[in-house]
Amino acid sequence: MTIPTSSPWSAGARAEPSPLASPLARPLSIPVVLGTTRKGRMSAHAARFVADRIRLRDGIATDVIDISRLPLPVDDAGEGVRSPEYGEAMLRADAIVIVAPEYNHSFPGLLKHVLDSCLKEYIHKAAGIVAVSAGSFGGTRVIQSLLPVLRELGLVTIFWDVNIGNVGRVFDDAGLLVDDAFVRRTDKFLDELVWMARTLRTGRETIPLT
Amino acid sequence: MTATTRPMPCPRCGTAMNHHADKLVETSSRRDAPDIDAALGGIVEETHACPTCGNVEFRRARGPA
Repeated sequence: MTIPTSSPWSAGARAEPSPLASPLARPLSIPVVLGTTRKGRMSAHAARFVADRIRLRDGIATDVIDISRLPLPVDDAGEGVRSPEYGEAMLRADAIVIVAPEYNHSFPGLLKHVLDSCLKEYIHKAAGIVAVSAGSFGGTRVIQSLLPVLRELGLVTIFWDVNIGNVGRVFDDAGLLVDDAFVRRTDKFLDELVWMARTLRTGRETIPLT
Repeated sequence: MTATTRPMPCPRCGTAMNHHADKLVETSSRRDAPDIDAALGGIVEETHACPTCGNVEFRRARGPA
């Protein structure tokens, strides 16, 4: 079959270099947000573990953003309390991992305070949740309460989560993983998050809204 | 590359940015009142991304002419 040269699929019509080639040339940035300030938090072990799993992948930069180390004034809210460090990290990010413990069936208030401090930085970027709980439900309720928040912030949530229930049995006192099942679970979660991050970067940078 | 009728050059590298999203922002500030799109119930913020350096910029959309 001969393809007419006027066809949009013909070689002549594709003389321009593919715009899809350039966005993925730069490394991805996927920070891990440790979403609690509570003393003795077990979520810190989970955040370090996930960041270590990300570091094993080529072409992805990561860091743990500990919200307890951010300035968190409470006499204002939203962009009025954004820390430059957090804002820059979100601006660079292609995806974020939120490590969120479940407190009273929801997320920590200060995590919401930090998330609300940005907006444009999040739009059309991927988000995945690692839920942590002391009980047996694995933080399912913090995930369900956090999803509509992330959606309104413009983040694109993935369908994989990491549910760390009975966290006291998953990490030892030194923070080392003692349940190897979480390696595979976390890697599957990251496979999806990285795919979404790549796809959304391509979309943000090359596909017009209309 | 860009959906907007007002192209936005990247302030960091000069590349033409891609207008990839319109975000509706609800506001109660009187200062924002002139920019509220009555049909949508809030301010529309255009989001642009740079294909060269990844920079992101926000710009308030102009209402329908």
